[in-house]
Amino acid sequence: MARHPDTDLVPYLRGELPPAERERVARHLEECPDCKQDTELLRDLLGNLSHAIGQPPAVSWARYRAELREKLEARRAQVRWWRRPMPLAVSASLAAALLLVAVWGGRELSKSPDSLGPDEVVIGRELGLLQEFRTVERLDLLEDLEVISNLDRLASERQG
Amino acid sequence: MEPSDEALCERVGRRDEAAFDLLVSRYQERAYRLAWSILRNAEDARDISQEAFIRLYETAGSFRGKSKFSTWFYRVLVNLCLDHKRKHKWWKLLVRDDEDRSDTILDRQPAPVNDPVDKLSREETLKALGSAVDRLAPRQRAAVLLRVQEDMATYDIAQVLKCSEATVRVHLHRALATLKKTVEKH
Repeated sequence: MARHPDTDLVPYLRGELPPAERERVARHLEECPDCKQDTELLRDLLGNLSHAIGQPPAVSWARYRAELREKLEARRAQVRWWRRPMPLAVSASLAAALLLVAVWGGRELSKSPDSLGPDEVVIGRELGLLQEFRTVERLDLLEDLEVISNLDRLASERQG
Repeated sequence: MEPSDEALCERVGRRDEAAFDLLVSRYQERAYRLAWSILRNAEDARDISQEAFIRLYETAGSFRGKSKFSTWFYRVLVNLCLDHKRKHKWWKLLVRDDEDRSDTILDRQPAPVNDPVDKLSREETLKALGSAVDRLAPRQRAAVLLRVQEDMATYDIAQVLKCSEATVRVHLHRALATLKKTVEKH
């Protein structure tokens, strides 16, 4: 026997299964007494559930809508408060304060120790030229630091 | 001819107050009932369903008509309810007086039954069933309520809960299996 169509039973009872699936479930129910019994129980259960869940306490709908209107107005007022245009004096003061912060901050940044000095700017400009020198290009030949640091001693030994 | 919900929603997006009022009138009872079924508190249900309408007013412009208006609106409402439950979970653990159980099960049970023994038994079963629904996991409960109260198809429930149809089927199957056990005990 095919697998029990457990999760298909509710859609089957509501008649929302496509024809092929519906046919498959119906055939299964004819052959499987347990599933057939389950289906009947489910049908009763679904019928009883609406009574079991019950109805909420009654509401005055006119009052409900009036409350809703009040809440909606309050929400709109909140939004309007955030979006309302500021008085000219306040806007101008804020703009001036922002400008002051921007100018002062810019000056402070230019004084920072990380900024480039005039020499470094010149070297930076000449960097393209430096790249043309063969010595600079072959810096790997000078990597033996021991030889470099002992060059003076080596020279005096030769002379001696 | 009455304008469709979708047409009204589009008009609300253009700040048409009359369209908003009409949509509220159409959905107020359903929204309040569904919120109450999830929250089980009349005051919370009123507040949350009204909040759903305010969200509708604020975001109607973003409704693109890809799904039905009802599905879109229920998604907003159910999310608000589940968020509310999540936020107030700790409080409800301390104070368990949020349940609106002032109405007797007789008031909530319209089916007339002649035999008093059967009547009592049925009343007890329905009461146990109602409590069992309250104890379901939030999403299972929402799926059951949308199915039973709003008579929504699996596809629509999946749209509201933002999950697949297969997941909704599993939610419903598990929820109903739990509820079936409650009935079998009685």
